[in-house]
Amino acid sequence: MDILISGVGGQGTILASKILANGAVTDGSKRARTGETIGMSQRGGCVVSHVRTSDTYSPYIPAGGADLLLSFELCEGARNLPMLKKGGTAVINTAKINPVTVSLGASVYDEEKITEYIKSNCKAYFLDADRLAKKCGSLKAVNVLLVGTAFGLGLLDISKTSLYAAIKNNVKPEFYKMNIKAFECGENYALTLKG
Amino acid sequence: MKQVLLGNAAIALGAVTAGVKVVSGYPGTPSTEVLQTVAQNNINKKIYVEWSANEKAALEVAAGASYCGARSMVTMKQVGLNVASDPLMSLAIVGIKGGMVVLVADDPGPISSQTEQDTRHFGEFANIPVLDPSSPEEAYEMAVYAFDLSERLGLPVILRPTTKVCHASGTVDVIDTVYEYEPEGFVKDPGWVIFPPLSYRRHLEIERQQPEISYEFDNISFNLIRGTGKKGIACGGVTYAIVSDVLNELNVPENDVMLLKIGAVFPAPSGLYEKFLKSVEKALVLEELDPVIETGLFHTLALKRMTTPVSGKLDGTVTPAGELKFDNLKKYICDFLGMTINEKNSIKSMELPARPPVLCAGCPHRASFYAVKRAMKGRKHVSCGDIGCYTLGNAKPLEMTDTCLCMGAGITIAQGIKRIDAETDVFAFIGDSTFFASGMTGVANAVYNNSNINIVILDNSTTAMTGHQPHPGTGKTMMQTESPKIDIGAVIKALNVGFTTRVNPFDLDAAAEAVKEAADYEGVSVIIFEAPCIAVAKPEKAVTIDGCTGCMRCIKEIGCPAMHTDNGRVSVDDALCYGCGLCIGICPGKKIRRGDSC
Ligand code: SF4
Ligand code: SF4
Repeated sequence: MDILISGVGGQGTILASKILANGAVTDGSKRARTGETIGMSQRGGCVVSHVRTSDTYSPYIPAGGADLLLSFELCEGARNLPMLKKGGTAVINTAKINPVTVSLGASVYDEEKITEYIKSNCKAYFLDADRLAKKCGSLKAVNVLLVGTAFGLGLLDISKTSLYAAIKNNVKPEFYKMNIKAFECGENYALTLKG
Repeated sequence: MKQVLLGNAAIALGAVTAGVKVVSGYPGTPSTEVLQTVAQNNINKKIYVEWSANEKAALEVAAGASYCGARSMVTMKQVGLNVASDPLMSLAIVGIKGGMVVLVADDPGPISSQTEQDTRHFGEFANIPVLDPSSPEEAYEMAVYAFDLSERLGLPVILRPTTKVCHASGTVDVIDTVYEYEPEGFVKDPGWVIFPPLSYRRHLEIERQQPEISYEFDNISFNLIRGTGKKGIACGGVTYAIVSDVLNELNVPENDVMLLKIGAVFPAPSGLYEKFLKSVEKALVLEELDPVIETGLFHTLALKRMTTPVSGKLDGTVTPAGELKFDNLKKYICDFLGMTINEKNSIKSMELPARPPVLCAGCPHRASFYAVKRAMKGRKHVSCGDIGCYTLGNAKPLEMTDTCLCMGAGITIAQGIKRIDAETDVFAFIGDSTFFASGMTGVANAVYNNSNINIVILDNSTTAMTGHQPHPGTGKTMMQTESPKIDIGAVIKALNVGFTTRVNPFDLDAAAEAVKEAADYEGVSVIIFEAPCIAVAKPEKAVTIDGCTGCMRCIKEIGCPAMHTDNGRVSVDDALCYGCGLCIGICPGKKIRRGDSC
């Protein structure tokens, strides 16, 4: 399975990709590969993580190849939509992070148009994950919350036990409980999304 | 044990497995995590790990340890090797004793670098072997092998991953045992002292070694031939992995294409090249950056008087610059195999607002740049930048970086500009880590040569851009010990700078005043702006805006990413605001207040 995670530098996309890759390997995937964005873009630029649990050579998903797009931010979801397969699914955090270019008036962030574009091109689930994460204790947990949502929607072929083990191995012990809470919150919210 | 590891972590653990005893380096994307991972896995502090002042210092520290028979590794990014090339070139001549790996990460694109230079050339230049991994898994194996190879040859070995191996993760089978040995210590020998006659003798010896290494590389598992077709594709690095995926997607049978994969790239495995060129009717070379494998193939063609047609970068078939991504590679391969590309019915992209990286909300550099900008309003001035987060000061609305070349260049470029453009106030901005890495020489040059420039040292108590490493000014080491902090002000004083002042850039009035004084001073002046990076400081409460009139002054002047506009009014995002207070002094109507005051 090929999963693309997109967001804005600083949102913690790398942790989500680690959890998915580690979870898949614990489940017995022969191998998992990820490709991260580390560097200048982490200062508020566009970041993506590729996660591949199938038996490919390269960690990088070709354009139009992702089964699932997990976007931490609305506009970044739209930016990476062409990475999705025709018929692929997107889980999108509707919380906006305005690029400075928008605040300075050099460009426009048209939420409606962006949402419409996403809806008309794939099967998409939208949720305000920032708000939900804050309710769980910290905006920082938005990454694990979105993983929980994708899991709750039945979009991941990784078991819950393995995901929990991966969370345990990758977050500080004092944040484990809060992250599990965020995962469950995402998972439960998925039920309302499924309708 | 199988672990999902970042390429850089895999290299680090490979070095640990191989019994590395000293690891030194200077931070630089995409290499940084190698040294950090060694430090994190340094059980009982058996390995000595340091961030050095710069790459040259790092390479020499590692070389000294190797002279004593210890296995050592030095880590850096590709442009770092330019700084360390002086010791490297000589070290190749003098040779080493304990296996020594020079880890140099290349950055095709470039994604986070000034240049996309190809380190494989350095191997050729210095006559030392180069290994080029195609995946994190292979990077681990190569790291283990590189120490052994280096020790056998008595030569340093370059391990050269690229960004897409460094920052990819794979499932690595990590060996649990560590190679054990006791280094002999330094044994005096005339061979450690480089002199012209010795250089000549060693040069002959190194040239004698080359065919032996080449032969080893003909037969090593990192180099291989797959498939049996009459059309050959040669590739290396991550391109091998992507090419393999492309061939799978195109369902090309193994007996249609012969794939030559090169991981041990220098000295060229010419025996394997010959075998490949003899087996195929034509060949295409796909490699990122320079045509190194391709040139090697041409050498073999010429020496063996063969005529197999080879296309790639040299005949213009393949783009000379940038990364080779899946879609480009697919196109090259389809053209080569005479296949037509079935256009996938893909999702069309949409025009979206650009999102360039920016200085963080609360970043002290924003305040420093703004202070200089404000002080220089109406005066002709040039801002020479340098390498670090503060390179981002070039963006709107600050626009305070007019030049940026390489580490430490701001201070010296400024001197050249001032010689010609005497009427302009010239500023050079440099961060604390960059100052220690390569800024001090520039200051000495300015003082000695009676320059009239203004040096702004942005002291944020960390090496921020690469992920907040300690440096000589912080007094923290990678061995978790403390060392005496080197005071930048004291260094400046010792360099005999005529005008020095230290000020907190968030104290906007005092900061702007200091800048004016410095600019008016005839001679070298130094302003040290002291305020920590938000990653090493505790945040204050977010500011509040009450009754914004919509003048947009704050946004237009400083462009803090925590500020947004909604219906012509500015609001602050609590989660992003660091409460630095810079915007408070800018709002003409005094509508912005500290969070804790209400
Ligand atoms: S990491 Fe630190 S120095 Fe870099 S932009 Fe952010 S606050 Fe500024
Ligand atoms: S106080 Fe003002 S300038 Fe500083 S981070 Fe908050 S909004 Fe940005």
